[in-house]
Amino acid sequence: MTEGCSETDMWKYSSTLMDHFMNPRNSGQLPDPDGRSEVGSDQCGDAMTLDIQVDDRDRIVDIRFMTFGCAGAIAAASALTELARGRTLEEALTITNDQIIEYLGGMPEEKYHCSVMGHEALEGAIGDFRKKRERVRRHLEQVLENMPAQLKEDLGGEVPAVVNVHPSRVTLRSSAGDGDAAESLGRLLEGKVGRRVEVTLLR
Amino acid sequence: MKAYLDNNATTRMAPEVLEAMMPFLTGKYGNPSSFHSFGSEVMDAVERARESVAALIGAERDEIFFTSGGTESDNTALRGACAINPLRPGLVVTDVEHPAVLRTAEMMESEGTPVRFAPSLKDGSLDLDTLFGMITEEVGLVSVMTANNETGAVYPVREIAEVARSRGVLVHTDAVQAAGKIVIDVGDTGVDLLSLSAHKFHGPKGVGVLFVRRGLQLPPLITGGHQEGGMRAGTYNAAGIAGMGKAAELAQEHLSGGPEHMMELSSRLERGILDSCPGSRVVAADVSRLPNTVTVLFRGVESEAVMTLLDMEGICVSSGSACSTGESSPSHVLTAMGIGPRDAGTAIRFSLSRYTAGSEVDCLLEVLPGMIDKLRKISPYAD
Repeated sequence: MTEGCSETDMWKYSSTLMDHFMNPRNSGQLPDPDGRSEVGSDQCGDAMTLDIQVDDRDRIVDIRFMTFGCAGAIAAASALTELARGRTLEEALTITNDQIIEYLGGMPEEKYHCSVMGHEALEGAIGDFRKKRERVRRHLEQVLENMPAQLKEDLGGEVPAVVNVHPSRVTLRSSAGDGDAAESLGRLLEGKVGRRVEVTLLR
Repeated sequence: MKAYLDNNATTRMAPEVLEAMMPFLTGKYGNPSSFHSFGSEVMDAVERARESVAALIGAERDEIFFTSGGTESDNTALRGACAINPLRPGLVVTDVEHPAVLRTAEMMESEGTPVRFAPSLKDGSLDLDTLFGMITEEVGLVSVMTANNETGAVYPVREIAEVARSRGVLVHTDAVQAAGKIVIDVGDTGVDLLSLSAHKFHGPKGVGVLFVRRGLQLPPLITGGHQEGGMRAGTYNAAGIAGMGKAAELAQEHLSGGPEHMMELSSRLERGILDSCPGSRVVAADVSRLPNTVTVLFRGVESEAVMTLLDMEGICVSSGSACSTGESSPSHVLTAMGIGPRDAGTAIRFSLSRYTAGSEVDCLLEVLPGMIDKLRKISPYAD
């Protein structure tokens, strides 16, 4: 048993940390995240989910968390989302536990471990995003290699170049082709990936 | 502080207790062991306190030994009782004991004492069949707490003592959490050893008692002078002892008046929480419990986060786990009941005293539902 007030008083939380605990930023879940992770500590039972939405330039444009944990864990997750939002995936991965703690205006030493979970969750969500993207890229290559003759003809007789791949949309460039061709490619891709992937054709 | 609902941690000292202690913190500073009357009048107070404590638990005066608190009493009982009979060195304890017993038993085990840990059942009661099966010929002592500090569950000490005694085994009970809340009678339960701590029933901190049944001689844990008939060396904590005596008198008065007030308040608290916080459930709800203890699991909401919010409102409670080092583990009591770490981490203990006011319970019920709701909204385990 943690015996009441005295113990909680011991965690001399900073006012910034308490603000993030009382008013967590970016809490919740995204309806259709580009990357999601669920992490937890079996030992103390803390757990967290992290959703990210990533634009075509690998930038985190939206991020949401849910946390089961103490005030320190909730504040650390909130701080992490603030630090990661707007950054590229590579930049976000360089965020350290120390930065989270500094952002919160310090944290009692015995609570440092609370910030570790957020970092793990971020790595997990980015990993999930990349895995999904790789999967779309793999299927896209297969689709492009095995295009029906008519579709290939519509696209000027050549395989379109891949401009950008994202878990939910791909951008291609070809000398010919229209919205119908893009739609056909999208359907073929959906058949492989198992969910809607939007295809944009640039000329 | 607006509401103190953590009386299983410690209680406020009764004003009468402070009054009873004051003379020995001021003018009457004599050593009770001294020959002169300046000391012996302090000894008179010690003996009066001994009588009051004896009366609280239905014991005789010479069966009461003052210690520094519940932990020392438990240590003395376990180590002493297992040492006196070389043919029966074994110890049986339950896995829901207070750390004062559990850690001591583990320590004794590492030193070579055969120790068995009796399991609990899911409802918060003890697995008596297994416990009785553990009381074999090599066992010298069975230690079962009277009431659990975390869940408030009251254990069938009399039934256990009967079986143990019929097999020639001594019985100790840690009654620290039960004293002042339910009637304790060593004549009725038949225990040989019983631990008490003054600060759990409105007495001062740093003083306790070990009841040792007449005729039983234990080796002292603390050696030195001949105080307490050689059972416990060290200069008498006269003020503390006088305070404990007064606290025992007050507790007995309170108990004879019936704990209705406390029961009414804790059931109001329990009902209020269950009604206003969906997904909450009371631990050990179906077994006999102390009239002052309500431990609740708030599904999906980590207890320390709740405690932090309550603390900001000036409300004191305890949790079922301490997330402090990263290696923190959920409560051993809840774990013993088969509650997983994810649920055990949501446990909040509310514990009342005879001084608890209805306004304190109201104050809690006013803010708690909003806090639970707020935390549940950002929890991945809310459903």
